[in-house]
Amino acid sequence: MKRDLHQFQAPNHGTSIAGSSNSSPAVFGKDKMMMVKEEEEEDDELLGVLGYKVRSSEMAEVALKLEQLETMMGNVQEDGLAHLATDTVHYNPAELYSWLDNMLTELNPPATTGSNGLNQINNSFFTGGGDYDLKAIPGSAICQRSNSSSTPNQYNKRLKPCPSPDSMVTSPSPAVQIGGIVGTTVTTTTVSESTRPLILVDSQDNGVRLVHALMACAEAVQSGNLTLAEALVKQIGFLAVSQAGAMRKVATYFAEALARRIYRLSPPQTQIDHSLSDTLQMHFYETCPYLKFAHFTANQAILEAFEGKKRVHVIDFSMNQGLQWPALMQALALREGGPPSFRLTGIGPPAADNSDHLHEVGCKLAQLAEAIHVEFEYRGFVANSLADLDAAMLELRPSETEAVAVNSVFELHKLLGRPGAIEKVFGVVKQIKPVIFTVVEQESSHNGPVFLDRFTESLHYYSTLFDSLEGAPSSQDKVMSEVYLGKQICNLVACEGADRVERHETLSQWSNRFGSSGFAPAHLGSNAFKQASTLLALFNGGEGYRVEENNGCLMLGWHTRPLITTSAWKLSAVH
Amino acid sequence: MKRSASNSVTNSDVSNKKMKTTGEEEGSEIGFANLDENLIYEVLKHVDARTLAASSCVSKIWHRTAQDERLWELICTRHWANIGCSQNQLRFVVLALGGFKQLHSLYLWPLSSPNQHGRLGKDELKLSLSLLSIRYYEKMNFVKRLP
Repeated sequence: MKRDLHQFQAPNHGTSIAGSSNSSPAVFGKDKMMMVKEEEEEDDELLGVLGYKVRSSEMAEVALKLEQLETMMGNVQEDGLAHLATDTVHYNPAELYSWLDNMLTELNPPATTGSNGLNQINNSFFTGGGDYDLKAIPGSAICQRSNSSSTPNQYNKRLKPCPSPDSMVTSPSPAVQIGGIVGTTVTTTTVSESTRPLILVDSQDNGVRLVHALMACAEAVQSGNLTLAEALVKQIGFLAVSQAGAMRKVATYFAEALARRIYRLSPPQTQIDHSLSDTLQMHFYETCPYLKFAHFTANQAILEAFEGKKRVHVIDFSMNQGLQWPALMQALALREGGPPSFRLTGIGPPAADNSDHLHEVGCKLAQLAEAIHVEFEYRGFVANSLADLDAAMLELRPSETEAVAVNSVFELHKLLGRPGAIEKVFGVVKQIKPVIFTVVEQESSHNGPVFLDRFTESLHYYSTLFDSLEGAPSSQDKVMSEVYLGKQICNLVACEGADRVERHETLSQWSNRFGSSGFAPAHLGSNAFKQASTLLALFNGGEGYRVEENNGCLMLGWHTRPLITTSAWKLSAVH
Repeated sequence: MKRSASNSVTNSDVSNKKMKTTGEEEGSEIGFANLDENLIYEVLKHVDARTLAASSCVSKIWHRTAQDERLWELICTRHWANIGCSQNQLRFVVLALGGFKQLHSLYLWPLSSPNQHGRLGKDELKLSLSLLSIRYYEKMNFVKRLP
C-alpha cells in the first residue's frame, strides 16, 4: 500500500515521491523536498467516534515509525537501550506520534535537519571518476544506522523511504557501513560516468532496486565496462542481503555468476563432478514436481506408444539415477495382457571417481524388475557428450521384433553449444527409428546471441522457479535444489562458448528444429494431462502450479509462467 | 473356521450380533470388542479407510485384523473402474512393491483428502502406483552385483 504514505513523508523527509518519476540523475537529498503534497487534515473517523482526535495522516506515520523503531532497536550496537526500557501506557492515540518521535530521535542523534530521524538524506558528493573504493568515504558521512530496514523483509515491504532517488547506474552507496549493518540505503546519485539514460524508479522498494542493479550490471558487463560492473556487483551483494526469500537467493546466485564473469573465474567444476550434480538432481526431484512431471508425462507417452508391443526398448539419454524407469516398469507390469520384455539402454557422463554407476543403476532396476516379474535387460553407455554416440553401438534389433523409444530429459540443450552436435544426435535418433522420441526441456530462451537478453530472460525464469520452491517445506532437499539451480545460473551467466551448456530454448524453437530435422509432433494424450494434474495435488495442494497443453505438448508452470515442457516426436512420414 | 473371501455375511447378521451384544454387555463373554477375528474381518470389509485405520487402534486382535492387506486392497480398489489389468496382476505387483496399506497411507490418502470424501479414481490409483514403485526403488538397498 504505497500510495498514501508517499505523500505523508514529503514534508519532512525530502524523499522522492511516487509522482516524481522524471527527475534528472544528478539530484541530491534536500533538493528533493519538493512535491509536497497537501496533507490531509482530516481526523480519522473511527477514532473520532471514540473521542480521540487523530489526524489520518499521522496514523500512517505512526505505523511507519513503529516499524522503524523496531528495526532500529534491533540494530543498535551500543547498549543505549536502557533508557527505553520503561513501561509506557498511552491512553490517547494522538500522543503516539510525538512519543515515537522522541524515541526515534533519542536513538538516532540526528545528523540532519530536525526530521524525525527517519531518513538520512545522503548528501555525499561522490563524483565518479573511478573511485569506487568504499574505504575512501570518511567515516562521518556514513550513515550510522540502517535507514532502510536491515532485517530481511518481505520482498515487497516498503522500507523506510530512501532519501534520494536512485539511479541504478551510480557509484556504490556510501551509506553502507562495512561490516556492520546489513541493509543499506543505496542512495547517492552522482554525476555518473555513464551517459546512458538512467532509469528512475520509485526507489522505495529495495527489491525493485535490486533488479535494476542486476540489469545494470549485466549491461555493464556486456558493454565491457568492467569497473562499473564490479561496483554494481558489490552493490547487488548488499541489496540482495536485505531481501528475503526467493529474491534474495536468486539475486545472490546471479550476483555470484556475474562476479565470476567479471573476474573471469571459471565456475566451480561444472563439467567434472557429475556425481554431485546427480545428487543435487535427486534433491531437486524430491522438493518440487518438475522432474516428476517430466518423468510421468514422458512415461505416459512411451506407454501409449508401446501399446501392443511384445518387446520394447528404451534408450535413455539422461540416465542419472534411473528414477524415471521404476514407474514405467510398474505400468508395464500392470499392462493388460501382461508386461512386455523390457530392455533399457542408459547413457550418461563418466563418473568422477571412475565408478561404474551406470552399471549400479542397472542392477537396481534389474532387482526391481525381478520383484515385479518383468523381463529386463540393461546396457549402460558412458559418453562425455551425446554427440559421441553412434547408432551402431546401441545394438539395435530389427524393428519388427523390438519397438524403441528414445528419451531425453534436460539433455538436448547441452548440445547446442557445439556446432553440428545436435544434428548428429538427430541423425542417430533417426537411424534408431523410434516409435516415439520424448523430450523434456526448460521453457525459456536462454540461448540468444545477446548476453543482456539471456540475462534478463534467465533472471525472470529462475526467479519464478525459486518462487515456486518457496512453498516447499524447508529442508536439506530444498537447499540442495537451490544449489542445483544455482549451478545452472552460474553456467548460464558466467560461461561462454563450449563451456556454456545451459542453452535452454523454448518449445517453438525446439519445434522448428525438430520439424526441420524430419520429426513430426506426437500429441500427448489426455491421460498424461490427467496424471500431471493429479501429481500437482500432492505438492502443496497444487497451489500455484499450472499444467497447460500447448499443441499437443504439456507445460508445467508456476502461475502464468510455463517452466518446463514435455513434448513427443516421431519420425515424419517422409523418412 | 478359516477366513474365506466370501461376502456371505449379510448386514442383518451383523446387526443381530450387535444387538445381542449390546443387550448382554454385563457378564457377557462375547462383547463386540471380543468378536472372533474372522467376524471382525468380515465386518471391516465394509468400512471406509478412516474407520479401518481407527479400528486398528482398538485392541491387539483388531490391530492384527485391520492390518490385513486384503482389507486395504478392497479400500484401494473400491472406486476404480478397471485400470486394465487383472486383479491378480495388480495384487502381485502392489504386494511386491510394498503393499496396499502402504499404497493407501502414503499416496492414496493424501490424494483423496482434498477431494470429495473417499473418491479414488483411476488417475489417483495410477499415480500412487508410480510413486510407490519409485519409493521402493529409492529405498532399495543395493544388494546384488550381477556378474
